[in-house]
Amino acid sequence: MNDNELITAVRESFTGVHSTTPAAQIVKRGRAVRARRRVPAVAAAGAAAAAAVAVSVALTGSHPAAGHPPAGHPASGPGVVRLAAWTVTRQAGGSIKVTFREAADAAGLQRTLRADGVPASVTFTGGQNPACRPYTFSGSPSTPAGQPFRGPVNGLIGGPGFSANPKGAYTTPYALVISPSRLPSGAGLQIWTSGTPGAAGNFQLQVGVVQASPQCTGS
Amino acid sequence: MRDQRPDFTEFYQRSRDGCLRAVLVSVGDQDTAQDVVDEAFARAWASWRTVSRHPAPAAWVVRTALNANISRWRRRHREVPVPDPGLVADFPAVPWDSRGPGDPRIRAALMRLPVRQRQVVALRLFLDLDTRRTAQVLGIAPGTVKEHLGRALASLRDDLKPTYHQESPS
Repeated sequence: MNDNELITAVRESFTGVHSTTPAAQIVKRGRAVRARRRVPAVAAAGAAAAAAVAVSVALTGSHPAAGHPPAGHPASGPGVVRLAAWTVTRQAGGSIKVTFREAADAAGLQRTLRADGVPASVTFTGGQNPACRPYTFSGSPSTPAGQPFRGPVNGLIGGPGFSANPKGAYTTPYALVISPSRLPSGAGLQIWTSGTPGAAGNFQLQVGVVQASPQCTGS
Repeated sequence: MRDQRPDFTEFYQRSRDGCLRAVLVSVGDQDTAQDVVDEAFARAWASWRTVSRHPAPAAWVVRTALNANISRWRRRHREVPVPDPGLVADFPAVPWDSRGPGDPRIRAALMRLPVRQRQVVALRLFLDLDTRRTAQVLGIAPGTVKEHLGRALASLRDDLKPTYHQESPS
């Protein structure tokens, strides 16, 4: 048997093997394949668009109220999507608004707050700064006589530490409004997370008033 | 309508048997071969704009089917121990359908070939790919394709040569 005869014999041994799947069934399966591909493709396109927005904000954005765009955490004008981990905005009346979207770059936030005149310690490692000591309130010296007490954070203060997120879990953008003028003399703020860092919905953003010190709040 | 792709349908009708035979030679089980070939054709339909420009769309289907078979094996391997598809080639030959036409001895002999030789035979004989295209599909050198094909044919010839029984003198 030469090569040609052998090849012919091999081919003929398969002549009875036929695919029985109708073309319509292949097309139906193909549509399912394409649908599976589209889900991550759409997500990737969305992420790319979001990244493009963030980059454009980083390149062109300025901090309209505070006048300082923190590197990598730009504020933006009305109607512009902001996707940074957090944004610090100085508001009318001297208050400072911190919008959290992600517990990231604690050092950058701490530096920004201190630059804005807030003695602050920021840690996103799942625990408090061990150098910080709780501040013991004995009234609010900044509260005018006859006025209800208003604390330095969101108009409230719950003692040395409280959960800043009323829903308990840090799952959505959350804003703190800090009023530096309401901080007692010698006091600062500690912002930290409890729970598992990086696990959205599984940790809480915490804020407390602490004794200002170089080791804790930098001054 | 965008989903109507007459050229795909024509390609499918023309190529499906050859692709199935080529994959069957490689995987050794007709149900598995049919399933992975169907999956590969479905992927070809989903990417038809790209696949239709491939120099050998049938080879693309066969390569995709073989990859799908490996992926399937890996998935199953995490669940229950199953033999490596590359090792299945060395298992004793089991004709995929003893009722099928043709010479069952030839099919059995094919299944006794090492898997790479079977793949070369499948692509060269059932898809009519030339040496260069076969080498591209399998990711090996053209010289290696020739070597595998030569050894495969030699093994088949040796395996299929008529057996003569010496008659004992009466």
